[in-house]
Amino acid sequence: MFRKILIANRGEIALRILRACRVLGIEAVVAYSEADRDSLAVQLADEAICIGPADAKRSYLSAPAVISAAMITGSDAIHPGYGFLSEDDGFAEVVAAHGLTFIGPPAAVLERFASKAGTRELFAGHGLPTIPGSEGMLRDEMHALGEAERIGYPVLIKPSAGGGGKGMRMVRTPRELEGVLRVCRSEAKAAFGDDSLYLEKWLDENRHVEIQVVVDKYGHGVHLGERDCSVQRRHQKIIEEAPTPALPPSSRVELAERAIKAAVAAGYENLGTLEFLVDASGAFYFIEINCRIQVEHPVTEMLTGIDLVALQIRIAAGEPLGLTQADIPQRGHAIEFRINAEDALHDFRPGAGTIERYNAPGGPGVRFDSHAYAGYEVPPYYDSLLGKLVVWGPTREAAIARGRAALDELVIEGVVTNTPIHRALLASKPFLEGHFTTNLLDRIGSAAFLAGEERAS
Amino acid sequence: MLEHDHDAVIRSATERTATERTATERTATERAADHAALARSMDELVPTLIAKLGTTGLAELEVREDSLRIRLRRPADAPITDDRRAADRATDRAHRTDRSRGAPGGSPSIHQPGMTPVGPGPGPGPGREPRDSREVRTSGDGHGAIATSPAVGIYHPGPAARAGTRVRAGDRLGTVDMLGVPQEVVAPTDGVVGTSLAEGGDAVEYGQELVAIEFATTATTAAATTAPSATPPDVNTGP
Repeated sequence: MFRKILIANRGEIALRILRACRVLGIEAVVAYSEADRDSLAVQLADEAICIGPADAKRSYLSAPAVISAAMITGSDAIHPGYGFLSEDDGFAEVVAAHGLTFIGPPAAVLERFASKAGTRELFAGHGLPTIPGSEGMLRDEMHALGEAERIGYPVLIKPSAGGGGKGMRMVRTPRELEGVLRVCRSEAKAAFGDDSLYLEKWLDENRHVEIQVVVDKYGHGVHLGERDCSVQRRHQKIIEEAPTPALPPSSRVELAERAIKAAVAAGYENLGTLEFLVDASGAFYFIEINCRIQVEHPVTEMLTGIDLVALQIRIAAGEPLGLTQADIPQRGHAIEFRINAEDALHDFRPGAGTIERYNAPGGPGVRFDSHAYAGYEVPPYYDSLLGKLVVWGPTREAAIARGRAALDELVIEGVVTNTPIHRALLASKPFLEGHFTTNLLDRIGSAAFLAGEERAS
Repeated sequence: MLEHDHDAVIRSATERTATERTATERTATERAADHAALARSMDELVPTLIAKLGTTGLAELEVREDSLRIRLRRPADAPITDDRRAADRATDRAHRTDRSRGAPGGSPSIHQPGMTPVGPGPGPGPGREPRDSREVRTSGDGHGAIATSPAVGIYHPGPAARAGTRVRAGDRLGTVDMLGVPQEVVAPTDGVVGTSLAEGGDAVEYGQELVAIEFATTATTAAATTAPSATPPDVNTGP
């Protein structure tokens, strides 16, 4: 097991990793940018080291700065969290070359799953249905138009190296496709340094269901059930829950079992998430794998009682999984609300500033993972996630009731947050009935959605 | 693909500055006055302009005053943040000179307050431009500034980091080795090297205080600004 881990991330996930280290008796060094000097993770860390300026390119995204910090602090492993360098196979390789352990899949595994299109083919070969899509990358406009015609409109343009909705566009006609292809390419190039694009058939009414898997170095793997992340705004998840209301128990088990079987067969290692789209008929299609700890991992922790970050660290250290599928319970229902510093009334414009008043909700079945505190200055340079409110109840209804109560207890003043959208969602028929689809919020429009909630209450 | 994000080496202000002199007929007095103005511009205006260039992201900046024209051009591949870091130092230096000189505008000067507000400031704005807050830190007694680490790594002081060495802003004091790539530690101000705050071989973090620089005496600065002949020899004032 590791003696000392360098946490190369910020915000709530830095704190979450720090907590896992504490539980495992591992010293934790928090690597931070100048903008995060006053962060909670820095204050609570065993050691903290400033690795660069606010600009993430020169701090959290700088492989030399992160590895140098790990070397001079005598750390033996680096936890990259999510985002930043977490799925960068080149980074993982350099980490290993310096005699350190990358906490995540080894570089070779990351490389194997680096291309989304390649991964789809790989998993299709291991028995997972995939969404009809383009054959390989789009070469040029002619190729794109031809492939879109073959797949059938509407189609979704996706960057191969992508994530977080950047460079993604849904188009319904050849004219639209022609219009946005170049924009998607330049967005993908700017965001990921790679302008490869591919097409996927767009399913108008679909749900996003993902399977959490974990595989140890010895090829032993288990799944930890699914999470439903259908409440999205422009391809960004807002609420995640488990179990999914979209599928009957037998289908859920079938999906999870096929996912873990394919992951093991394809040579996956460490913690990972296989994402699927589920259409109105309940048919599912593999879309991508996330080779990292995910934002919404607490949903699974609430249902299974397993500390996923600690498990991830143990697997990276070479320990055997020590779990069989039968050891993994799935109890009750959990819902996560992402609390972002965003103005829901103004097109989710990101906010920054100082938190003047703060109260974290509590009580049975309520967990609030957040790096916020009264007096904390939210820096404007990074993503807007302020915290994750996770509630658990024996039933979905009980979880929803706890969610409402917890949202009422939550106080964050001084910085605008998206809590109004969560209240509106908890009052909305599609959510309460479990019929939410990934494009519903965008189709209705957030403003209209919020206005509808006001009328209802 | 991994993109190594090594810090660009910070070049001194003179290296990235191009000054131009328009051809005119001049008397000896005018020439002396021009030289004095140029010397001042190197000390005050140019660093301020570099600061502005660094914060705006503009590729080029030009200022004209009577017969003098100064144009600054950013190297095509220069990272803005590095400019900004150098700029912060330069701005501080310009302000300090203002204070030591008394009220600005007392002598014929091309340093006009009206020239300074170019583009948005370096603070956090709606544009979410990352800011480099590794600004010049003044030493406890207010008579100096501190050279800080440009990177996280191992500190190697150079010969110029020895106490008593006279340095100019931008002079190299040593390096911080970040995974085998040396990053330059530079003097934030003109002055004399004082206390070392870190030893050679020390592991240092980004922004860590390394070397104290005592400001050059007010007398020296005053002499340089009033007498054209006192122009320091290492400043190129030629056309």
